Amino acid sequence: MTNRTQFDYELEELKLSLIKMGDLVIKNIHLSLKSFIEMNSDLANKIIKDDKIVNQFEYDIEKDCMRIILKEQPVARDLRLITSVLKMITDLERIGDHAADISKLTVFMEKNNKPYLVPQVNKMVDESEKMIKMALESFVNQDQNIALKVIDNDDIVDDYFTEIQHLVAEAIRQDNIDADYAIYLMMAAKYLERIGDHAVNIAEWVIFSIVGHHRN
Amino acid sequence: MENSVFTISNLNLHYGTFQALNNINIDIEKNKVTALIGPSGCGKSTFLRCLNRMNDLIDKCKISGNVLYHSEDVYQKNYDVISLRTKVGMVFQKPNPFPMTIFDNVAYGPRCQGLKNKNQLYKIVESSLKKAALWEEVKDRLKESAMGLSGGQQQRLCIARAIAMEPEVILMDEPTSALDPIATLKIEELINDLKKNYAIVIVTHSMQQAARISDNTAFFLSGELIEYNQTDVVFTAPKESKTEDYITGRFG
Repeated sequence: MTNRTQFDYELEELKLSLIKMGDLVIKNIHLSLKSFIEMNSDLANKIIKDDKIVNQFEYDIEKDCMRIILKEQPVARDLRLITSVLKMITDLERIGDHAADISKLTVFMEKNNKPYLVPQVNKMVDESEKMIKMALESFVNQDQNIALKVIDNDDIVDDYFTEIQHLVAEAIRQDNIDADYAIYLMMAAKYLERIGDHAVNIAEWVIFSIVGHHRN
Repeated sequence: MENSVFTISNLNLHYGTFQALNNINIDIEKNKVTALIGPSGCGKSTFLRCLNRMNDLIDKCKISGNVLYHSEDVYQKNYDVISLRTKVGMVFQKPNPFPMTIFDNVAYGPRCQGLKNKNQLYKIVESSLKKAALWEEVKDRLKESAMGLSGGQQQRLCIARAIAMEPEVILMDEPTSALDPIATLKIEELINDLKKNYAIVIVTHSMQQAARISDNTAFFLSGELIEYNQTDVVFTAPKESKTEDYITGRFG
């Protein structure tokens, strides 16, 4: 058996960097929603600042991919893996942007806005985080079944969004919600819905890296 | 296949008791570059040499199955091997110009076929050297010895020598393995150009070369054809795990 010890080591390091980036992004989403619900602009500002670290991860991983392509001239599954990483970091970076976007909403909101708490938002963020975690897990283990579950779970996130939309519309009709808050809440929910879509993209790249073609 | 120049079916080849090729089935398409890859001793060069019966001279070499060149079996009795080799030219790993002038090297084949007219010979030499992308470099020294050319030039001269016979297929056995990167690049550019008029079958040990220049790739292992597919499929999503292991360098 010929081995490519150095190459395999570099691929493992690449996976590790991707996981670290994913963990940071998940943490940022979680905290961004916390900042939104608690109207904690200090926490929100910290997340906005930390988004630069997510961006730096993207640049660094991109550089690593290019270096590996140059040095190792990968083919077949190695080539697909590196190509997938290059695409996945774009989605992770966008998820990071949305975490920062939610945090910006917190900063925009005035302290005297009366919050209107909808439990579905928390469920939505839990589900989105779970989807990203599963997508990354499916990548590390090269497990197509987990990736397929992520794609299925997007419906759950979409359903929560629709529920929130109805609840907010009803609250507006009943005059139970502050107008600005209603807008911000819907925007936050939309960002979470988009995060679910990016998690699906990641899962689709995982499937591509495993089977070699795109899912129809 | 409609565009095939060669259709090979159930090809077996033994060197004495050693079976070098085991039940090979493959079509070689015209106007395409077909790359043969695989580890040393896998049978790819042996297979290549079957296409113009270069194995005939090897003792104890026994062949069964069909190698159809335009639907005619080249191994049938009384088949005109000389004519086959004019239609199926060959370029080897080490450039092998004849120890004569550049002009005479290229004119050698047509002369052997009885062509004596100087004007016609000159035209063939000029056009062959042009097709081999060597003309500009040698047009002022056609009467000089071919042995004075660089390795890359010598290899292009050998290609010109093959082209002078107006072949339909050009077989290349690791044609760039003895060349530097610039000469290699020139040969690769040339191959890309030549496929407009010829079918090219190339044995190469360079995965990147196969990926760069070929349309179809055949992976051989221990005398068997493991996978034959479009090159981009073979190098991005091969169907067989043996192919995957070999091309990704995790092999054995």
